[in-house]
Parts: sequence; C-alpha cells; structure tokens
Amino acid sequence: MIQKLFVALTVALAALLAPALARAEVKVVTTVPTLASLAKAIGGSKIKVVSLSLPTQDPHFVDAKPSLALELSQADLLLVVGQGLESGWLPALLTGARNAGIQAGAHGHLDCSGRVRVLDVSQNADRSQGDVHPDGNPHYLFDPRAVGAVAEGIARRLGELDPAEAAFFQARLEKFQSRLGEARAAVEGRLARLRGVPVIGYHKSWPYLADWLGVELVDYVEPKPGIPPTPAHVARLLATARKRNVRAILQESYYPEESSALVAEKSGAALVVLPSGADFEGGQSYFAYLEALTQKLESIRP
Amino acid sequence: MRHKGISCSALGCIAGLTTALAVARAHAQPVDPFDPDAAGGPVPPAVPTTPGAASTTSPPKQGAGEGELTPEELAEIERATGADAGTLRDAGRGGGLGDSGSGKAPLPVPVPAGAAAFLPDISVVLGAALAAFSTEEPLQAGGHDPSSSGFNLQQVELSLGKSVDPYFRFDANLVFTLEGVEVEEAYATTLDLPAKLQLRAGQLLTRFGRINATHPHGWDFADQPFFWSKVWGSDGNRGLGAELSVLLPLPWYVEILGSTTEAAGEGTARSFYGAEDLGVRSPIDFENLLAVKQFFDLSHDWSLLFGVSAANGPNPSGRHSRTDVFGTDLYLKYRPITRQSFTVVSLQSEWMLRRRQVPDDVLVDVGGYAQLFYRFEQRWGAALRYEYATATQNRSGARVVDPLDPSHAADRHRASAALTFWPTEFSRIRLQGSADVPRWLERPTWAGFLQLETVTGSHGAHAF
Repeated sequence: MIQKLFVALTVALAALLAPALARAEVKVVTTVPTLASLAKAIGGSKIKVVSLSLPTQDPHFVDAKPSLALELSQADLLLVVGQGLESGWLPALLTGARNAGIQAGAHGHLDCSGRVRVLDVSQNADRSQGDVHPDGNPHYLFDPRAVGAVAEGIARRLGELDPAEAAFFQARLEKFQSRLGEARAAVEGRLARLRGVPVIGYHKSWPYLADWLGVELVDYVEPKPGIPPTPAHVARLLATARKRNVRAILQESYYPEESSALVAEKSGAALVVLPSGADFEGGQSYFAYLEALTQKLESIRP
Repeated sequence: MRHKGISCSALGCIAGLTTALAVARAHAQPVDPFDPDAAGGPVPPAVPTTPGAASTTSPPKQGAGEGELTPEELAEIERATGADAGTLRDAGRGGGLGDSGSGKAPLPVPVPAGAAAFLPDISVVLGAALAAFSTEEPLQAGGHDPSSSGFNLQQVELSLGKSVDPYFRFDANLVFTLEGVEVEEAYATTLDLPAKLQLRAGQLLTRFGRINATHPHGWDFADQPFFWSKVWGSDGNRGLGAELSVLLPLPWYVEILGSTTEAAGEGTARSFYGAEDLGVRSPIDFENLLAVKQFFDLSHDWSLLFGVSAANGPNPSGRHSRTDVFGTDLYLKYRPITRQSFTVVSLQSEWMLRRRQVPDDVLVDVGGYAQLFYRFEQRWGAALRYEYATATQNRSGARVVDPLDPSHAADRHRASAALTFWPTEFSRIRLQGSADVPRWLERPTWAGFLQLETVTGSHGAHAF
C-alpha cells in the first residue's frame, strides 16, 4: 500500500516537474509588454513569451521579484529595451537567474535599442539634470519605424536560436512588416493634422513619437526627468501652454494626472493619457495597441 | 484498498488534467491575436490586404508532425547554420535597417565601445546622521547605527561590480568610516553552473533571514534591529567563505542555500567564536548555514517572501560547545501595478532563536522585529518598527548572566518610527525617533535621528 502511494506521489511529482523541465519551444522573456507582443507576432506558436512588466507599470521602477528571476532562469532569449531603462532592477534579476545564455552580451540577450536610431544621446549627462539616460532616450517603441527594426532583430535572433524554424519566423516577419507598413501609412494619414502641433509631455517619453508624427514637444510636466512637478514649474508650464497654444498634454498611464489635468483644463489643451505598452497579458497585439494609441491621439484638436 | 483507490484517482486526475490542458492548447491556437494576419489594428477598413499578406496558408513547418527532426539533425542544422549566424548578426548591427516604407528610416548608430565598458560599475553611498539620545551611553551596537549625540558618519560605501568573464561576476562593498576602511564584502558569483546552481565565494554577508544580507541603503530605518547586533555583532553575520544555492525546478520560487564561513569575528560572528578565534582544526569549526527561501506571487499587486534559516558553529566556551541560531523571516508587500499608484505597503518580520552550549548548560534567548512601511506619496514614506528580545535563560528556564552581554539581565523592547523623504531615488532624508525600554535599566532611552543618504554613480539594482 505505502509503496503504491509512494509510486503515485512520484508520478504526480514528475507530472508537476515535467512542464518546468521540458524545453520544446523557445522561451522568450521581455522586460516590457510591447516587446512581448512583437515577439509573439514573429514567433507565434513556436515560442512561449512572458513579459516581466505590465503596461500599467513604470518600467523604470519594476520590483525585482524572485518570481521574475525564475522566469529568466528558464529563458532562452531575453529582449530588453536598453538605454538604461531597466538598469534599476534587471541586473539583480539577471545574476539571480543563473542563466548564462541570457546575460548581457550573450546570444540569448538582445538589446533592442541596438537596432534603432537613438535620440537624446548626451555627451555630458549629469544627474543634476534629473534621472537622465546618458546613452540615449529609451522610449523608442512609440515609433513604428523603430518597431519594424526591432521586429527584424527579433526574427533574426529567433531564427538563430531555433534554426529549424528560421523560415517560419522569416515568413511571419515578412507578413508583420508588410502589415506594419500599411498600418503606419494609415496612422500617418489619420494623424497628419498633428504635424507642427505644440504639445507638452509629462516625462521625456515622447521624442520618438514627436519625431515620427511631427508634433512639437514644447515642455515637460516634470521639471527634470524623474522629478515630480512643483507649483512654480506648473505655473510656468501653464504660461507656456497659453502662450504657445499647446493642444495636448501627453503622458503614460502610470504617471499621476493631477498637474497635467490642471494645466490642460486651464489652457484648453487635451489631456491624453496613453497606454505605455501593449496589453500583452490581455492578448493585445502590437497592431491593436497602435490602433488604441492612434485613437487617443486623434482626440487632439489642432 | 483505500490507498490503492486514492493513488488511482490521483493518477486519473493527472491524466485527465493533462488531456484537458492539451485540448485547451489545441483550441487556443486558432485564435491567436498576435498573428500578423489577425484582425484589428490601424489598417484602413476599405483597403484589401495584398495577396501575400492575406494568405492564410501556413508557412513551411519543419518541426511539426511527421517531419519532426531528431536532436541529432537539429544539432547538424545548428552546426551548419552556426557559421552563418555570426555574419548575420554583424550585418544586423551595421546596415541600414528598420523601414520597408518611406526613406525616413531611423538608422542604427554604432555604439561606441571602449575599454571603459570593462571597468566595474562604481557607486558611492554616503550615510550621515545627526543624533540625539536621552542618555550618554546609548545601547546602539550596530556598526552603521548613529551611536552618540551629535553628528555621526554612518558610512561611506564604495560599491564595485562587473562581470569577470562568462563564468563569474565580481562584487565588492568597501566601507569607509572615520576610523578606516574595511572590506565589508568582496566576492565572486558564478554565472554558468548547471542545474540552476550558483556559488558565491569570498568575503560575504550570509543570507541568514532577510535583513542580514542587505545594506543600510536598503533599510527602512536608520539603524539595525538590536537583536541582530546582539547575535551576529555590529556588522551583521559575514565572513570569508563560500555559499552554494540552487533554484528548484518548481512552478514557484524555491531557493535552497548552504554556506560555510569563518566562525571568528567580534563584529561578524559574535555568537560563534566571536572575538576568541580558536582556529580551524576540522570542517565543523566553521559557521555552517542552511536556508530555504520561497516567494509567492499572490497577485500582480501582492507578493510574499518567506524564509527559514539555521546556522550552526563552534563557540569558545568549551571544547565541543556549539551555537545554533534558528530564524524565520516574512515579507509581505502590496504595491499596485495594475493602475497608476505610488503606494507601497510592506510588512517585514524576522525572529531568531539562539541556543548556545556552555559547559554543563545551554543558554537560550529569542528576539526579533516586525516593521510596517507605507509609502503614501511619490516621495514620502512612513515606517513603524517594534523590536523585542528576551533575557538569556538556561536549560531549566531560569534567567542567567549572559557571558557576552552580562548587563542585559532582562527583556528589552524598542519601538521606532521613521518618516522618509526621497528627493529622487538617489537621495533620501529620514527623521526617526525611538523609545528603548531595556528592563534592566531604570528609565527608557529616547533617541532621535535626522539622516541624510546619497547615492552617486551607477548603483546596482536592488534585490526584492
């Protein structure tokens, strides 16, 4: 009897452990959800994707939960935004993950910023100017042109990690790029009237979006990156908003809205709260996310 | 029969579950919202997609069904394509990438790489405090504690860390005080051991419980719990040694670690050899530690970390005298990440039982703390801490004079409250007050601290 029970327990344990040990598909871990949606678009059913953060979460300040180290320990490919966006939390997780294959510089570690034209590179960055990223601004995923470059990099790296499926990834990439080209043209058409329109950003998250759509970034609600708005700064901002006829205040959903709402209300600008990334867990594809972003931006009246 | 019935139904359950999962997976596949062919997204409604893009025929599937490749064949393909992979990668970084449409594609900029990339990441932490005590002899025994009325330099910590090679990374924390410099930590960590093993070796803080391995920069208070100073010494439990840990292949985070460190050191292994270093004559003359740490993602917003630790080592009271320290730690954290919020609420509690063999008797005492932290604004947090330790008792439960702390002849309670303001994540100003009630003294002791801490440089990421 006891022997049979023991056998049953062993089998049960094996059944529990088997999924953790099995490595049939390439496991991709991304730091932000938009990268997860991109990876899934390329990898489809051939890969398993996990994002370490949610779109509602500030990617500068993610808790280094041990459960995230566990995800990384099982990863074959790690996709990071780079430019210092994750430097406050990812390094501790990477060491704890005990996975040589995804350490910085390893083949299973793809810094996606290596494939885009980085803006705001600072030759003499100093933290007296706030929480700046000396290697450049990391918020490039708001620009579909950068997204296309990143998708290509993901497909290439996936193909290298799983050469048997390289053709599959390449075919999905081609479909993705063709769809991206159409989607981008559609959005550019719908938002063409925003060219030259003055806007204020909350954090310095919008240079890539501004570069793509041609909106003019006049100022930021944060006096310096990472520093919450002070009354004096908000007063200056309101004056600027009125003088320059600012039409919108753009911010990600994880920043507080009080100061932005005040400036928006008193200046007649629209407060546009944009999702910081695709809701990957909720099944939102990059294209659905781009549509959501576009609809929000369409509410701006030039 | 009863057992058989149970085991069969258990097996049946697993089989059923596996089938259900397989079925669910099979059903889940056709509705893949991430497929570039899936509906949705900003495509103009009237425009039909190009034949190529609209094609629903699957691309060649080399790894599916009967065409399944054997591992040997896969290895062959990898070998054959491996030669090309490098050139593919190089081409990816340098060339004009990214845009299939208009000519305004963002071009990759070559990343400047120099010898500087190999320098260790350096950061400097300054901790200084203005302190006021209601007594001239405060019972502050922590090495970084503000310990006398007036200005106190708690520490200047220089942290260095970087990958050594594909197999190790190196980390060091050098602590400068007005008295001199000490190598608080300097250790190598493996990056590439099999089976999710990890080895750390060098001078290291042991991972007994939660707070011991952390640095003042990561604390919610300006001083360390008094029982930690009493059990481990002013600097916390650390020493030259090695630690091996493993992540278990389970669906939740379970880490088991064991470490062996020097049992000597007045400020680092006080309950073991402490100040009386009797040397190493056999492998049991070290401090040996075993700990299990588990983490539970209760939801996106709630996390729980729970650990148990036990350390054993020699003490100098007799030829075969040993000391055991048993501990348990709990950290419950609420931080909403599913909506905009700066709120953090955490409960952290650790308790230790110390058992020391002395000739013809055993000395036992218990102590610990519980603290509640609440970040109520982006830049503001408040914390409350209660600490308690018993007097030392012998085998028959009678209070005895502790050879290490002869004056501590009764219970001790301490309550502290702290208010912290963070101008940025690189600096903080903390106001802390505490009431200390050592029952062996006539009056409670009051203390107030105003602490300033700054971090310069590329400070490493924090553990949870």
